[in-house]
Amino acid sequence: MPNQEMKPVDTKQIREMLNRKKGKMKRYLSHCAHCSLCAESCFLYRAHQKDPQYMPSYKAIYSLGRLYKKRGKVDRKLLTEIKGIVWRNCVLCGRCYCPIGIHIPSMIAFARSILRSQEVYPQLDEVFSESWL
Amino acid sequence: MYDFIRGQLVSIAFVVFILGLIFQFIQFFRLTKKKEWVYPPLEVKREKKTAGKWVAFCLASLNGTLWKTDPLITIATSVFHVFLILVPIFLLGHNILLDQSWGLSLWSLPESITDILTLVILTGVAFFLGRRLFLSRVRVITSLYDYVILLIAAAPFLTGYFAYHQWFNYDTVMTLHILAGEAMLITIPFTKLGHMLFFFLYRFLIGSEYSFAKGARAW
Repeated sequence: MPNQEMKPVDTKQIREMLNRKKGKMKRYLSHCAHCSLCAESCFLYRAHQKDPQYMPSYKAIYSLGRLYKKRGKVDRKLLTEIKGIVWRNCVLCGRCYCPIGIHIPSMIAFARSILRSQEVYPQLDEVFSESWL
Repeated sequence: MYDFIRGQLVSIAFVVFILGLIFQFIQFFRLTKKKEWVYPPLEVKREKKTAGKWVAFCLASLNGTLWKTDPLITIATSVFHVFLILVPIFLLGHNILLDQSWGLSLWSLPESITDILTLVILTGVAFFLGRRLFLSRVRVITSLYDYVILLIAAAPFLTGYFAYHQWFNYDTVMTLHILAGEAMLITIPFTKLGHMLFFFLYRFLIGSEYSFAKGARAW
């Protein structure tokens, strides 16, 4: 794990990745009506006493949404925070349902790709306990 | 100024609205030109259904939708959106204006009905505002922008209602009503309100069980 905290964040690379999928991802983000109707479709939301942070829209907005909002200018602290959202709070089961039709799993998967490019990902094979949770 | 708002700006708003939607439509098809499958497509077993079986199938699939988890919002959002589109199109006053300027008009609803329907729409707005203010799961993803968008959607109906009942200064309210309508038309293609078009377009992207078509046009 320590090696993940050492490397500087390559903001230019993040920006390039964000720009590559801008057409699709920014449309998804901007068309989200923030209605919260996707909540019930997430089994993790239901399993956590309807905690809003498990809502699919929350997870997309607070991971990929934040990366776009900051135009990639993020630090490792924020990336680590997003790691929790896109790996721990979402398992990419793909069952989330958006009434507008926004494909939420592709946004979470894209946020994961960006984090992976900065070597931020859960290293389950490196730890003895599940302390990364 | 009043002439500009009543005249040229109306045309500008409609041109921006239509060209904006066409632009978004073309962009959408350009972005989705390449067909991509995340998983191999599901083999859907096709069997001929009798009419009765088809109805039973449709009713059963409602259980997998918001209708089952949240019937109140399903009704509220459906009624709100349908009337939001229909009322301005079939409003007598609008059709008279259309007749005066282009010599053509659509069928109009009686004014007493559109008056009530406007109240229904405004009740919908109040309902959405209430959810945004008091429901923690909505509040957590709400920003000022969401309130502005709700205001843009509500303003034409609120001012229209005031104008019809001649409350406050009629000319001012009417100017505000026209401005609000123009603001809504201009913002639709470029903001969250774009879901007016993308609600339908996105149906071609998502999995068949959630959509009209087979969901073949994947990003």
